[in-house]
Amino acid sequence: MTRSRIYGLVGFVWFLMTIAAIVYATRLALVVAPTEATMGNVQRIFYYHVPTSMLSLLFPYVNFFASLCYLYWRSRDPLKALTADAVAIASAEVTVVYASICLLTGMLWGRAAWGIWWTWDARLTSMLLLWLLYVSYLMLRKLSATGQAHTLAAVLSVFAAIDVPIVYMSIQWWRTQHPAPVFFGGPDTGIDASMKPAFGYNVLGWAMWGIFLLLFRYALERRRQQVEQDAALQAIEASLEIAQ
Amino acid sequence: MKLSWIFGPSMEAHHLLYAYVTVWLIQGGYAAWIAWHWAHTGRALRTQNPDRRDES
Repeated sequence: MTRSRIYGLVGFVWFLMTIAAIVYATRLALVVAPTEATMGNVQRIFYYHVPTSMLSLLFPYVNFFASLCYLYWRSRDPLKALTADAVAIASAEVTVVYASICLLTGMLWGRAAWGIWWTWDARLTSMLLLWLLYVSYLMLRKLSATGQAHTLAAVLSVFAAIDVPIVYMSIQWWRTQHPAPVFFGGPDTGIDASMKPAFGYNVLGWAMWGIFLLLFRYALERRRQQVEQDAALQAIEASLEIAQ
Repeated sequence: MKLSWIFGPSMEAHHLLYAYVTVWLIQGGYAAWIAWHWAHTGRALRTQNPDRRDES
């Protein structure tokens, strides 16, 4: 069995386990978890919104370290730099996916709970800024024609990562419309024990899904790099044949 | 608890349903996009070099 087939098989098994975890987590969130006393059923958005938000603050660090590796290796070891670059673009895209869901589910929840879709408080604004930074990272890579796009994007990524701790700490540093931290926010924070399985399985399921997307997108980028390298080699061979 | 309330007329039911549909549309759409490009790029790889054994 070839290496690519083994990877494919492992990926497929991981995918099936992920789907099973997400389906079970959705059942827990919608059917098993108790209805919250103040907000009612709309509070169930919590089981998607919070895990997705947590993960949207973790994937930027994958992008950050991959970009640092790319900047370090780009002149020392170009092949390793290509690997780091593939990890960087995969993690940036997954960050945008998770941050988009965080913003949209937050708006849907806010409209039902606060009566407004959006407010320019520190948490929402810093999260929107994070989304914009990673969208600009992707657009820079896609649209730049300078030949230095990957290096410029890696530098942008290093600065974009600075926004992550600001998003995380914003609800502790400033008074915001957004609620105070549910976890690790002090002695009176946390959720009821009956809600913990639904929350825990959603964190697990969406983390597994994020890892699946990250690795699948990474494999796609490596394949694209291979296509580009083959095309370049064929062009060189063709030009040598013309010269002879 | 039964799930039928999620299709009810209230704003909380609507918004919960929209939130879950949004999550599945975005996540599923992105996964489908990767899968489509994966198949397309694999075809390009085999067309460029039919003797290649895929090691990606």
